[in-house]
Amino acid sequence: MDNAKRNRQVANGFYNLGLEKAKRRDLTGAVEYLKKSLRFDKYQMDARNLLGLVFYELGETADALMQWVISMNLHPEDNPADSFLEKIQRKPGQLEKENQTLQAYNQALAYIKSKNEDLAVLQLNRAVEANPHFVKAQMLLALICMSQGDYVKAGKSLLQVLQIDKSNAAAQQYMTIVKQNTGREEAEQKKQKNAYSHRQMEEDDIIIPPAYKESSGWSSILNIIAGLVIGMAAMFFLVMPAITKSLNASHNQELISYSQKINELNQELDVVKGDYTSLETEAGQMKEQLATIEEENQARLNQYQILIGILQAYRNDDLMTTAQLFSMLDASLITDEDVLAIVNAIAEDMTTNGYQTLQNMGTAAWNTGRLDDAIQYYEKSIQVKPDNTSAMFLLGRLYQDQENTEKANFWFGKILDEFPESSQAERAREARGY
Amino acid sequence: MINFDEEIARFKPSLEVGDVEDAIGKCDLTDMTDIMIEIMKAAKED
Repeated sequence: MDNAKRNRQVANGFYNLGLEKAKRRDLTGAVEYLKKSLRFDKYQMDARNLLGLVFYELGETADALMQWVISMNLHPEDNPADSFLEKIQRKPGQLEKENQTLQAYNQALAYIKSKNEDLAVLQLNRAVEANPHFVKAQMLLALICMSQGDYVKAGKSLLQVLQIDKSNAAAQQYMTIVKQNTGREEAEQKKQKNAYSHRQMEEDDIIIPPAYKESSGWSSILNIIAGLVIGMAAMFFLVMPAITKSLNASHNQELISYSQKINELNQELDVVKGDYTSLETEAGQMKEQLATIEEENQARLNQYQILIGILQAYRNDDLMTTAQLFSMLDASLITDEDVLAIVNAIAEDMTTNGYQTLQNMGTAAWNTGRLDDAIQYYEKSIQVKPDNTSAMFLLGRLYQDQENTEKANFWFGKILDEFPESSQAERAREARGY
Repeated sequence: MINFDEEIARFKPSLEVGDVEDAIGKCDLTDMTDIMIEIMKAAKED
């Protein structure tokens, strides 16, 4: 027998055990065996489908879906998982509702970790009300109730768990504690003892019938009084507890409905808060956009003001001011084509003729001893035409005359570093001396 | 008496419907036959 066949046989064996456990409602045991079966043969379709069904019965809808989807992928034809998936998805909103139940349980778990047990109980009540078969939620609810001393409520949850999954070890352990705390264990033990305390009748035993007595007047009165007392006692011990219980039940129901309403309102509040936050974010973004637009408009306005200044200075042949303002102009912000044409014409004039005029004005100023003016003219000439090496050289020489070696070397160095092929490069090297 | 914190630690979050796709992607479907095939392959290579 080959290994694959042997594995299939072992897998079938585990599947049979799992099926047996599932039939006896030992769902925890069934899950264990079915997982073992799939570990030996992942293609054991029945084991995978049954594992999905068991998960679904335990309230783990997503785990069930996962097993059935994998099953459909491994066996696309004639697979009962197809009908299981269809049944879940056929009813509109069913899957969403079951997912909300799972989310409520997960949320409750998170609340417990952050010590918010009251909120956790609300979420778990929601979960078990939507799906009473959700074993994990019932167990968690029972555990919290036990920790809060509400053993009766814990017992109700555990009873439901044990009806779904009879051999759930944790539920059995919790139930033992619940019985100890509610006195139920003692009552059961007593009942069991009484059940075996009857003696078997033997042949010699005689049943003696009660003797018939003619009741006298006094005894009739006593009987009536005794009847009244018994009636009142029955009223007190039997009817009153039932009425109290029913009142308590209706109050509890009312409390649950208020809790649910609070929960729903909290959820609505969360939604409104979310909307408010998103609106606040949008408002912030809009404000930022408005500020950006305002800044852009201000920048554009500034450029038009600079342009007006340039035109004014240009008309007055004030090349110095023209060059100064021209260096501040950002033509990219000017969108009007007619205005842009004027800007381009001035730019062309400045770069073809203006820089030379400024340089000449600098030299004239230097010759008449106005060294500071000369420096400004040369610098403006370089601003207008950044590759004007003649102006750079003259500026370097002027600083040399002023014995400002640092600035002189800066301009000579600029020519040598950035324009080594220019006609001024050799002169700059000689002037710098290295 | 039970220890509440210890018991709580045993409770794990449930898989949600939205996470099924990811869970299937991460699911290890290796079975005993796959493992045996791997072992036999490795033995042949040696």
